[in-house]
Amino acid sequence: MSKPFSLIVTDTSPLFTLVLADSLDVLLRPGLPVSIPDAVYIEATRVRGAPGADRIVEWINDHLDMVRIIPTDIGIDQQRRLEEGRSIRGLGEQAAIETLERFLRTDPTAEALLLFEDTDVEKRRAVVDERASLISTGDFLRELEAARLIQSTDQILNEAAARGRNVERQRRALEDGTTRERLREQLVHRDSPGLER
Amino acid sequence: MVENEQERLIRQYAAGEITWSALRTRGFENYLEVLGALGELGLRPPVASMTGPNVAARERGRAVIREALRAQK
Repeated sequence: MSKPFSLIVTDTSPLFTLVLADSLDVLLRPGLPVSIPDAVYIEATRVRGAPGADRIVEWINDHLDMVRIIPTDIGIDQQRRLEEGRSIRGLGEQAAIETLERFLRTDPTAEALLLFEDTDVEKRRAVVDERASLISTGDFLRELEAARLIQSTDQILNEAAARGRNVERQRRALEDGTTRERLREQLVHRDSPGLER
Repeated sequence: MVENEQERLIRQYAAGEITWSALRTRGFENYLEVLGALGELGLRPPVASMTGPNVAARERGRAVIREALRAQK
């Protein structure tokens, strides 16, 4: 593929799915440069301690020759919204559209492939330039499976869900622990002489 | 979100009846939560069927990946 080409990640879901299945490297198998809009990157990594976030950062740093974070105006807006405690829903996709437009402007022969979550790409019309194609996480994995580069799409998706379950259980346990700790602290304070209201 | 409601939504999502975007408007804040809820129910993320408004663009996309993989070999 001699003309400029980029695989643009439009949402956090492919990143979370692949990182939990320990399969982020599959994104590099086609040999296409991967662009992650800043808003998608921030959304995927902003939850401190979120499982997978550290590994996503590490993976990007390990592959800076192939993976780039793309700064966007939407990303700046996202920062502002986060500071103001406002919703950032849907900004990742908007940043991806901005990334696409910027990329296509750089060269009239440039082409891009937008990576979407499966149900969204199946049901929602994506208005994109004719030089842009679409692919879902599932379609992407199926092509790798057909090329015998992964054993099974279902195996990766099952693994992601199974690890997701463990992550969710750990998070709940942690939350319960924190709640218990707070309750204990309140009880201690209540029992301490002089602290009672 | 009530747990039964969450379970119902996740089952609908796994069956491809509602989208990830719809889940976001119904209280799921990030996709990790969705994966966790799918795992709890023994389900996996859905794979899109080749239908809907973006079929042509998706077929082009799959062809791009196929060609790129061939070029890598």
